[in-house]
Amino acid sequence: MIAKVLLTIWMTAIIVAAFLYADAAVGFPGETSRILFFHVPQAWVATLSFLLSMIASCIYLARRRVTADNLALSAAELGLLFCLLATASGSIFAKAAWGSFWNWDPRQTSIVILLMIYGAYFALRSAVGDPEKRRVFAAVYSILAFVTVPFLVFVVPRITASLHPEDTMNPAKPGMDPKTLKVFLGSLLAYTGLFIWILRLRLRLLNLEGMQEPEFLVTEKMDLEGEE
Amino acid sequence: MKSGRWITETGSSTYLSEAVAIWLRDLRGEFRTRYAVNSILMFAVTTLIAVSFSIGSFRIGDDEQPFLYAVLLWIILVFSALSGLSRSFVKEEEAGTMDVLKLSARPQAVFLGKLFFNLTLLGALELIIVPSFILLMNYEIKLPGLFTAMVVSGGIGLGGGTTIVAAMIAQASARGALFSVLSFPLLLPLMITAIKGCEKSAVGTNNPGWPEVRIAVAYSIVMIVMSLFLFPLIWEESMQ
Repeated sequence: MIAKVLLTIWMTAIIVAAFLYADAAVGFPGETSRILFFHVPQAWVATLSFLLSMIASCIYLARRRVTADNLALSAAELGLLFCLLATASGSIFAKAAWGSFWNWDPRQTSIVILLMIYGAYFALRSAVGDPEKRRVFAAVYSILAFVTVPFLVFVVPRITASLHPEDTMNPAKPGMDPKTLKVFLGSLLAYTGLFIWILRLRLRLLNLEGMQEPEFLVTEKMDLEGEE
Repeated sequence: MKSGRWITETGSSTYLSEAVAIWLRDLRGEFRTRYAVNSILMFAVTTLIAVSFSIGSFRIGDDEQPFLYAVLLWIILVFSALSGLSRSFVKEEEAGTMDVLKLSARPQAVFLGKLFFNLTLLGALELIIVPSFILLMNYEIKLPGLFTAMVVSGGIGLGGGTTIVAAMIAQASARGALFSVLSFPLLLPLMITAIKGCEKSAVGTNNPGWPEVRIAVAYSIVMIVMSLFLFPLIWEESMQ
């Protein structure tokens, strides 16, 4: 409860600071550089949840605990949500800075592939009836998809040069303004906190659903056997 | 059949002998019914004719030709493969022969046998479609060696990336559509690489070491090795 209140205050403070405290970066039209405080943390959370989902899938395959699969599922769901948010916010920036919402910039290409992988993951989950089988298949697919991602690093940048701002906005490089850096790191923390909070809610919900599941399945299976 | 030399001294079968046995059995079954060959080839031929008829060999200018033709060729190859490769496992499920297969061979051997079969199908597909495409579209290729290497390594990647997906979707509902949905994101890096490689071979850009071919080979190895690890998990789930 206290954590939730703190998170709300922190997020509000970050949003205010993003618009009032930090200065707009040089070299960007108007105020467009403020997207940094929202878009990058969204993309970071999307990547984090993709990784988390893959690790949870590995744990599920090794130990066969339903909780691990629940974690993989809820991380994938949140990953899809944040991936969509990052795509939308990035697209708005693209319109303002590059002149069109969509132009198949390498970053846009790779995020579309990530969205397609998530889409396929949920399509697979909904197409397999048996829960045990569904969990194993989803975990296997999650690992397979993760394995193909490194190839995109080689493949995608070769198509066209990226317009994505990198140097002026990368906190690891000394070019960033200290005020911007402070708000950016705060925002990263806020988004990660938000992610963990929603993830825990989703996990609790899935665990509650899971408590009902066995009984329901047993009756369904008996019905089917009776018909045969 | 002379299978004696595949059997070890103790009289038990090896991974390879089991895989080859499954491969030969599938080939024999395919030779009798010709289901997969017919559906994949007819799909590919129909698409090829549609493309060739609507574009013709002179519509696309010389500058654009190398790239656009490579795109069209790989779209035809990938979607033809996606239309029929799931057959290898779906037919076991439909015939109810999964359990017998499970008793008679080890999981990795089953995977390898099915992979060999899919690669055979893809080889036949490429052998027919690629030359016809070159002839019909008047595709000029400056580096035939690179082009051949790209088509072959791309084909192996196609087979390596989709065989395990076929095993999964054989036990799901809405099989046909799901196979394409699941395979396409996995195949996209390979497809982009193969298009790039074919374009370079048509233009005549000879990068030393053929990086595109190497990416395709690395992709194939990674996907096949990962599948060998993950396939047994899927295979034991298919027990009813």
